[in-house]
Amino acid sequence: MNAPILKIATLSAATAALVAACGGGGDDGPQAVTLDFAAYAGSAPVACGTAVSGLGSGNVSAQIKDFRFYIANVKMLRADGAEVPLVLGADDDWNITAGSDTLTLVDLEDASGSCATGTAARNATVKGTVPAGTYVGVKMTMGVPFALNHSDYATAKKPLDSQALAWSWQSGRKFAKIELTDPAGTGGTWKSNTFNFHLGSTGCTGNPASGQTVNCTTPNRMDFKFASFNPSTQKIAVDVKALVDGTDITVNQAGAAGCMSGGTDPECLNVFKALAIDWKADGTGTGLPINGGAAQTLFKAVAK
Amino acid sequence: MTAWRLWPLAGAALGAVLVGVAACGGGGTELLETRVASGAWTWTLPAYFPQPKVPDDNPMSVEKVELGRFLFYDKRLSGNGQQACAGCHHQDKAFTDGRAQSIGSTGELHPRSAQHLGNVVYHATLTWANPSLVTLERQMETPLFGERPIEMGVDDHNKEAVLDRLRTDTAASRYPQRFAAAFPGEAQPLHWANVIKAIASFQRTLISGNSRYDQWLSGKATLTAAETRGMNLFFGEKAECFHCHGSFNFNDQIVHAASRLVETPFHNTGLYNIGGTDAFPEPNRGVFELTAKAADMGKFRAPSLRNVEVTAPYMHDGTITTLEEVLRFYAAGGRHITSGPFAGDGRANRLKSDLVTRIELNDQEQADLIAFLKSLTDHQFLTDPRHANPFGSN
Repeated sequence: MNAPILKIATLSAATAALVAACGGGGDDGPQAVTLDFAAYAGSAPVACGTAVSGLGSGNVSAQIKDFRFYIANVKMLRADGAEVPLVLGADDDWNITAGSDTLTLVDLEDASGSCATGTAARNATVKGTVPAGTYVGVKMTMGVPFALNHSDYATAKKPLDSQALAWSWQSGRKFAKIELTDPAGTGGTWKSNTFNFHLGSTGCTGNPASGQTVNCTTPNRMDFKFASFNPSTQKIAVDVKALVDGTDITVNQAGAAGCMSGGTDPECLNVFKALAIDWKADGTGTGLPINGGAAQTLFKAVAK
Repeated sequence: MTAWRLWPLAGAALGAVLVGVAACGGGGTELLETRVASGAWTWTLPAYFPQPKVPDDNPMSVEKVELGRFLFYDKRLSGNGQQACAGCHHQDKAFTDGRAQSIGSTGELHPRSAQHLGNVVYHATLTWANPSLVTLERQMETPLFGERPIEMGVDDHNKEAVLDRLRTDTAASRYPQRFAAAFPGEAQPLHWANVIKAIASFQRTLISGNSRYDQWLSGKATLTAAETRGMNLFFGEKAECFHCHGSFNFNDQIVHAASRLVETPFHNTGLYNIGGTDAFPEPNRGVFELTAKAADMGKFRAPSLRNVEVTAPYMHDGTITTLEEVLRFYAAGGRHITSGPFAGDGRANRLKSDLVTRIELNDQEQADLIAFLKSLTDHQFLTDPRHANPFGSN
């Protein structure tokens, strides 16, 4: 959308949708933003059912087994550095707004081929509106805000009702579930058949008197930002090759198979480097973004 | 006092009668038991048991408890229809399964040993070592939906199909009617949240407080000389068992209706010390698995020792077979494994609780302690028809 520089509008969201729908004649109405996500390995798109080559320290091929993650609290950036929250549409299968938090489940698998345990429905976009104006960049968080993370799976609203993304051992959710598996299946040569990347808050504690989860010592929410980003010409590539850069995905040295955010799991060392989240081999990592995630390599802006 | 036998099979009408009896009580009768009501449910408890805590959003009712009992014993609740909750929780074993490590519905071996469910309503945290699981409702999502390991094996693909099995049930369980009765006012009550609420309500009725030890406390039975000597050792500073197993429930994590601040200690008992590094074997490293804090290595929740006679094998991984071995383990102040991948002297684990030290317990004293521990067996609990399989054999 190439909206001209305009004053911030104060229309309601409902009116905003109407104005956006009418298009063209927009003066100072809020403008629609669509952020597209796509699964990549390096510079090539990847999909369920097609082997992906050149992964990890062993430069091996793998099949995608799962590719889902939550994106929270998207903010569009103005040239002066101002951060403007993206207002999502009405709650639906993929989106929820709760208080000041917004959350979208991005699902880049389609249950085909090696992704059989997934869901056929996909969602590759975060859509919303911002006041009309010029925006030069975008920032967001991969993760589920604390206020939503520890809700009951059985009663939670969409998209928090996914059982696959439930993470009962920390009474929370998997913020991301990206899994790579031996292309030859269980009869293959990998010593550990599947490399699982599950991101989530760890060190969580509940209060037995209230029945609520009250604290997680290691939040593990991933912040990232593109100072320069144009949603109409660019999309956000999620680079699985960068995710496992430097990691041998065919073996599991210790801890869970792959990296399930374990504070001392050796497979998390390079993975968390790609996320730019503070992680230390001795378990003392804070789980906080390093420098706002400036050095992260997982998400890249690429041409549409 | 015959209240234990008076308590009928769950039924609203009889329950009301009993509440009436309770209200009339106290006419000079010595109060050895209390009846504590919560919503439409009344527990009969020893006087020294506190009022159980019930979540505000899941009040008790006779109908809900009975529905929960059916669900607890129903194999159709697992993804492949092969295993009920009761598959790993057998009433005659205080709701453990007698295995060192349990096996899930798909045949996957669980890294840990199924825990008993006696007085589970009072547990401040659930499972062996998880500070984040503080309600039965949340805990249940692990066996139902967990993928690592798979226990009941319910997932996004089959969770509606599993409910459909219940929706179309016309046999003894009559689920549509039972859900409607348990959750009045809900147009579509047969959903997962209510499945979980009903089973949790059933679990909250699994009270074990009528062992011979309890009867002795109430002046209704005597303990043998050996049991008495064992009890004095248990609660004394020599054996020091009571530090971690000292509450009315013989553990040290208790939550009840009046609780405000709740302590949730976890302990390393020196079961392992792989290669002298303090390490416990994966994936059974206790609270460390959640926190990655070095100090949490090998820390587990002290289990309640009620019915411990029938809950063998022991420890989180079932690696100690008998009570006699457990006593020798604690007398030694840890376990010295001399060979194999887990070799190491647990007695020297630097993270071991300072309450677990070498103690001089001769054979007689160990036998006395075991005699006392066996007095904690509540035979009524193990056979109580209110907790039994409503389908007959399953």
